Amino acid sequence: MEKRKRILLAKPGLDAHDMGIKLIARALKDAGAEVVYGGIYVTPEEITKTALEEDVDILGLSFHSSTHLVEATKIMKLLREKDRDDLTVVVGGCIPLEDVSDLKKMGVREVFGSGSSLDDIVDFMIQ
Amino acid sequence: MADSVKAEKREDTKIDGLMEAYFEKPKRLTTWSGFPIKDIYTPADLEGIDYEGNIANAGDYPFTRGIHSNMYRGRYWTMREGSGYARAADTNKRLKFLASQGVSGFSIFRDLPTVWGIDADHPMAEGEVGLSGVNLTSLKDMEGVLDGIALDKVSVALLCASSLAPVIFSQYLAVAENRGIDIAKLRGTIANDPLHSRYCYGKPSNPIDLSVKLAVDIIEFCTKHMPLWNTNSVNAYDMRETGINAPEEIAFGFGIAMEYIRKAVERGLNVDDFASRISFYFSAGMDFLEEIAKLRAARRLWAKIMKERFGAKKPGSWKFRFGVHTAGSSLVPQQPLNNIIRITIEALVAILGGVQSLHCCSYDEPIALPSEESQRIALRTQQILAYETGVANTADPLGGSYFIENLTNKLEEEAVKIIKEIDEMGGMAEAMKKEWVDQKIDQAALQLQKEIENKERVIVGVNAFTTAPEDKTPGGVYRIPPETEREQIANVKSLKETRDRKKVKETIRRLREKAQMGEGENLIPSIIEALKAYATVGEIQGTIRAAYGLTYDPFDIMKSPY
Repeated sequence: MEKRKRILLAKPGLDAHDMGIKLIARALKDAGAEVVYGGIYVTPEEITKTALEEDVDILGLSFHSSTHLVEATKIMKLLREKDRDDLTVVVGGCIPLEDVSDLKKMGVREVFGSGSSLDDIVDFMIQ
Repeated sequence: MADSVKAEKREDTKIDGLMEAYFEKPKRLTTWSGFPIKDIYTPADLEGIDYEGNIANAGDYPFTRGIHSNMYRGRYWTMREGSGYARAADTNKRLKFLASQGVSGFSIFRDLPTVWGIDADHPMAEGEVGLSGVNLTSLKDMEGVLDGIALDKVSVALLCASSLAPVIFSQYLAVAENRGIDIAKLRGTIANDPLHSRYCYGKPSNPIDLSVKLAVDIIEFCTKHMPLWNTNSVNAYDMRETGINAPEEIAFGFGIAMEYIRKAVERGLNVDDFASRISFYFSAGMDFLEEIAKLRAARRLWAKIMKERFGAKKPGSWKFRFGVHTAGSSLVPQQPLNNIIRITIEALVAILGGVQSLHCCSYDEPIALPSEESQRIALRTQQILAYETGVANTADPLGGSYFIENLTNKLEEEAVKIIKEIDEMGGMAEAMKKEWVDQKIDQAALQLQKEIENKERVIVGVNAFTTAPEDKTPGGVYRIPPETEREQIANVKSLKETRDRKKVKETIRRLREKAQMGEGENLIPSIIEALKAYATVGEIQGTIRAAYGLTYDPFDIMKSPY
């Protein structure tokens, strides 16, 4: 049997728009993934630490207050420092189309902006 | 439901799709809140309704048709567009730009560190300073925001609905007092609603009881000193944005407002001395007719609550006065110019619902911060509705519609049921502590997402009539200059070095002593005093928190320097 995907979902920063990330957590669980919910108001350091300690396959980050470029840069850097830039990082939330290529350039595997379908997100994460 | 709504398919097989579209009819025959809708409504649907008692003319109890007898013939609604971003000077410039474009009131947004009551130089503030609002760490910032604006000649809404409302409110008063303006002449609104913040900002910096105590401090202070100021703007809007339905929006909003009123009465205030300055912030969503009925139902129900439950005697205390923020959650990033149409429909809801103050969203909000251009369009939307359509020329033009009156009744009945449920739990604060509200919100969000995914709820551009993904935002993306945060942190650090430390220490000590005197002691005057000495939001909140036995810093990273 294929190993269940372990996925860490977290929302860095002070913003509290957590409806999206909570819905995704539920949908991923329903689809059979193991979800580690990192919660909101977490720092890049905390997120990286949890991702490594929990040995997750995927890290999902949600942003709604325009901090995605700053925070994702920090997280990708921390992962590189720990030699874990192979970790699949997925970003979602309120992300301008113009920023998708910048996020991908820094190593983010996929970006799901607002209005993305839950099915698409789940398919991508557990495939 | 349908392939018929898939435009991309229709383009591939034009002829089949066309006939399917020709015969297409609405699939969902209920309101978005789930009320079934009949083929047609007739006089039979109004049977048993007593016009004088139940509907009444605008200006007469229970105010179903409006709070003023002539509504907008006396005065248009206040046209506000919110502003708050980057540096104080940037926000000031945007406010003046909006004024030059014809807004009739200001709204000032603060950034997230300010909402949390932490200074710009706090480690958790990094990356957020000046981003989703203006940073208001100290009085210097508020002075900058209000520079050149005659405070006795404008109406300003201060949108900081968190536990920090007392500090932001006091900043505004401190600026006015320093300029020698009589605060009794100030006109505006403070979004003094820390209870709702739990659902908008997540974990609040202060516990419920302390938050409510501080909210009541503002009510008490305004009741004594500021007759023109709205002491609360109870924010049902943010709760609605989570996905709850229209009757829940009314019930949760009223549940919260009743907590503040109960506590203010316990403080010793007479309900008729302050009730007329409590206002609401409601949503206007896409279900056009239901949303109009919601606003009418809310107006009638609030009048009854104030008169019957709180025994208010003055008609002013019975009036449901409200601002509307069009539903940000209805906007989507796909084909974003379509959002202008959504916003227009929602603004029309607000006007036909009898709104007092309106803020239209900007079409680019699901993507980025509003640009100057998109904010101008938001304001123009209000102006076109006001000046070109004629909808403001008579009070409650939809009143008497068989369907609208029927729906108004249903919404009121449903809201009453939910309020009863809240009452049985011991009120809204208790319902919140039990996480009953959280459960309702989570259920609603899941339900909403399911409806979108299974296309029971069609959203043009999202699950129907989609186009190939765009790679650029029309009109571009507005970005906060990256040096904003660095500059602000440097400013705050330098302020902390250069201010009169003895004076700060002295005012903080007095604030602490007042805070230690217990719930009944109003802290606003001591907060103003500390602000004038350039104590920061973090220091003021920390001092109050510590006096109430909490950690000085809500994140427990910083230690009190006092």
